[in-house]
Amino acid sequence: MSDYTITIGTFIAIQAIVACGLNVIVGYAGQISLGHAAFFGIGAYASALLTTAGGFSFWGALPLVLFITGFIGLVLGLPSLRLKEDFLAITTIGINFIVVSVFLYVPFFGGALGIGGIPRVILFGTRLRGTPFLFLCLAFLAAVQLVSWLFTRSWSGLACFALREDEAAASSMGVSPVRFKLAAFILGTAMAGLGGALYAHFMRFISATDFGFPMSVMILSMVVLGGMGTLWGPVLGALVLGMLPEVFRPLTEYRMFLYAALLLLMIRFQPGGLLGESSLARQIFSRLKGGEKE
Amino acid sequence: MQLFLEQMLNGLAIGAIYALITLGLALVYGILRILHVAHAAIYTVGAYVGLAIFSSTHSLALSVTGSMLFCAILGVLIERFVYYPLLKFPPYVPLIGSIACLLAIEELCRMVAGPYILSFPAELPFPSFTIGGIVISSTLSAVYGISAGVLLLLWIITTKTELGLAMRATSQDMAIASSMGINSHWIISVTFMIGSAVAAIAGILVGIYYNQVYPTMGAVPAYKTLALIVVGGLGSVPGAVLASILLGIAETLLIGYAGIPLPRDALAFIAMIAVLLWRPQGLLGGRR
Amino acid sequence: MTEILLSLREVSMHFGGLKALDKVSFDLCDGEILGLIGPNGAGKTTCFNTVSGVYRPTSGEIRFGGIRTDGLPPHRMAALGIGRTFQIVRPFPNLSVLDNVIVAMGLPCYRGIIPSCGSWKRQKTRDGAMELLSKVGLDLQAPQKAGLLPLGNLRRLELARALALNPRLLLLDESFSGLRHEEVAMQEELVRKTRESGISILLIEHNMRVAMGLSDRLVVLDHGLKLAEGSPDEIRKNPEVIQAYLGKEGHSNVA
Ligand SMILES: Nc1ncnc2c1ncn2[C@@H]1O[C@H](COP(=O)(O)OP(=O)(O)O)[C@@H](O)[C@H]1O
Ligand SMILES: [Mg+2]
Repeated sequence: MSDYTITIGTFIAIQAIVACGLNVIVGYAGQISLGHAAFFGIGAYASALLTTAGGFSFWGALPLVLFITGFIGLVLGLPSLRLKEDFLAITTIGINFIVVSVFLYVPFFGGALGIGGIPRVILFGTRLRGTPFLFLCLAFLAAVQLVSWLFTRSWSGLACFALREDEAAASSMGVSPVRFKLAAFILGTAMAGLGGALYAHFMRFISATDFGFPMSVMILSMVVLGGMGTLWGPVLGALVLGMLPEVFRPLTEYRMFLYAALLLLMIRFQPGGLLGESSLARQIFSRLKGGEKE
Repeated sequence: MQLFLEQMLNGLAIGAIYALITLGLALVYGILRILHVAHAAIYTVGAYVGLAIFSSTHSLALSVTGSMLFCAILGVLIERFVYYPLLKFPPYVPLIGSIACLLAIEELCRMVAGPYILSFPAELPFPSFTIGGIVISSTLSAVYGISAGVLLLLWIITTKTELGLAMRATSQDMAIASSMGINSHWIISVTFMIGSAVAAIAGILVGIYYNQVYPTMGAVPAYKTLALIVVGGLGSVPGAVLASILLGIAETLLIGYAGIPLPRDALAFIAMIAVLLWRPQGLLGGRR
Repeated sequence: MTEILLSLREVSMHFGGLKALDKVSFDLCDGEILGLIGPNGAGKTTCFNTVSGVYRPTSGEIRFGGIRTDGLPPHRMAALGIGRTFQIVRPFPNLSVLDNVIVAMGLPCYRGIIPSCGSWKRQKTRDGAMELLSKVGLDLQAPQKAGLLPLGNLRRLELARALALNPRLLLLDESFSGLRHEEVAMQEELVRKTRESGISILLIEHNMRVAMGLSDRLVVLDHGLKLAEGSPDEIRKNPEVIQAYLGKEGHSNVA
């Protein structure tokens, strides 16, 4: 594999981790969130600061990073208990803008210059770069997928599904909306934090603009395109949207346009996502299955 | 004091321009309950088309009418081909469609006109004043005059005409409006035409006011206006206008005059969160 | 004298100026079927919503099993032993019929962090849910999406979900409305069986024949006020009740 392919693969793996986190919040718990990149950023900044100014190793910082992102996710998830739909959607956009401004304007976070000199991850005494780091990201992605899968099978997951479908009915069955929505927020934002930490140690230099609203849109597009609320949807979405610009790379000038146009076409003609119900993939799959039986 | 007043007048102009953009968003939200982020792309296109016509004809009147017409058609196309078929899906689906539209149109502008900042060297046919030692330039008085005129016209259309009545009925309840014999899909299209034509005016005004037209000029307004329609009260057009004007003044005074080191573009969202805590239905919104 | 399970004392619920409930008091004894009747808009559903914790009453006192419960949220009321159905059915449309019931079976697990991490895909849970579904006659529909069921089946699904909570008290809000004739008979049978299994029932019913036939006692509401309380025979003869119904919807509803 060329360095270039490895770099793209690493980006895709990291974004898939972040998208899985958003899937927990939006797909499983039904809470709209348009500011997920904020938590991606919080994870990246937390890990960057802990490993540079704080002197921690990546592994020492990681639990703290997950805790910090999850905790901020909990606090910023509170509006979702009061606000509905469009208000919540716009509020989460606002949270994204405000978090980015804090990174940009508070000197502690390095201001417009961002944070540099972030050390590489050291595992078994070797500094990970290139392929080994890609494998580390894939291992974390596998772990995140495992956690997502376990979550969908846990009572907490079922409680979230019920809340997504009908909050009043769910709470009449003993599901506390506060507790389980916030649980989904903590889990989803902690996953974003993990992605952020990996991103920081991969780039070794981060700045606030990496985590702006366009990134949130990108992550949400991955989840929606792949199939919201499905286990593999976000991973597929990250793969498709991560590869598209590379596929179009020879067409430098039209690359971004084709990307946007394709996103538009996909959302227009497969709004349920590539793996969602009544999607083309599902239909073909079920036809094949039906064919076998006959 | 002089500086304060000057900043105040600048803020008012910026607020008036925000109002012209936000208005279309509030109209669309009121009728379709869609967050029409791509509206900012229409505004960008409005500036480019206006500039193109102006460069070749040197007629501001032609430039404005041509651009309004072009944008009205673009708005209706987006409504027919993107939003209308996606209405039955959860709200984030049309929202993503809208964002994709915004990106695609921005890119299209860049591909056609290049990534550069173009200047818009038009003189607006408005007089300049001097009141008590404060100069109101012709650009400034043009911004005031045009936005006041547009707002007044829209107010008349929405409150005094049959079309306005049909628009209000459709935004109350599409099914009931249809049963009363209103062609609600046509009314939706008309709403997009009006909002988009006003966005074209805003695009040209901004182009002339800052003497700048560039592909991503819609990027910041796209999201700032979302905050503004929440502050105004989702779907309330007068609320959106009031919120826009207040924000224009607040941004200019707090950051330009008082020099508070706040990020200018986050102010709208900070205001929004404050408003949501204090008055969740927005400044002029009814209870929902 | 049997034990009192639920008691309302001067419970009021105001929405702005509207008094949806105005100082309503009544008791429900353990093992009883109590009917709550009254014309449309009388405040019956509002009464359910205060008992099940959806609303905090404007004033008054609600006790359930001896504990004061007004102001507790719905999920706490479920945990205390109140199961309910909704007048306008509220299934989880994208979950299967089986999973709809399993959600309710998780009641004991939702309260602690450790139990709520346990798996719901266990054979035992599934069997329990299937048993409830066959009790209400929905076992064949178990794998279907709940959103696709017709109304009659949804009413029975709601009953199955409420029963899956293992409640002490069941609140049934017009569980018979919109059902076909033979479905009504089946639902009546289910309600009777439920009571025989030791669950007390508070039911709202529009159909007088059904309400009179099922209930041990009835409470009549009108305009948020309690108009009368007594056995079906007493209620049938009560002139004020006849007046309230005559005044509103003709006497066809008074059996
Ligand atoms: N959440 C609410 N807000 C305002 N008014 C309500 C609300 N819920 C019920 N009401 C009003 O309270 C009255 C009683 O309603 P309800 O309890 O649903 O009557 P019933 O179930 O007996 O038909 C009605 O006038 C209704 O409009
Ligand atoms: Mg009712």
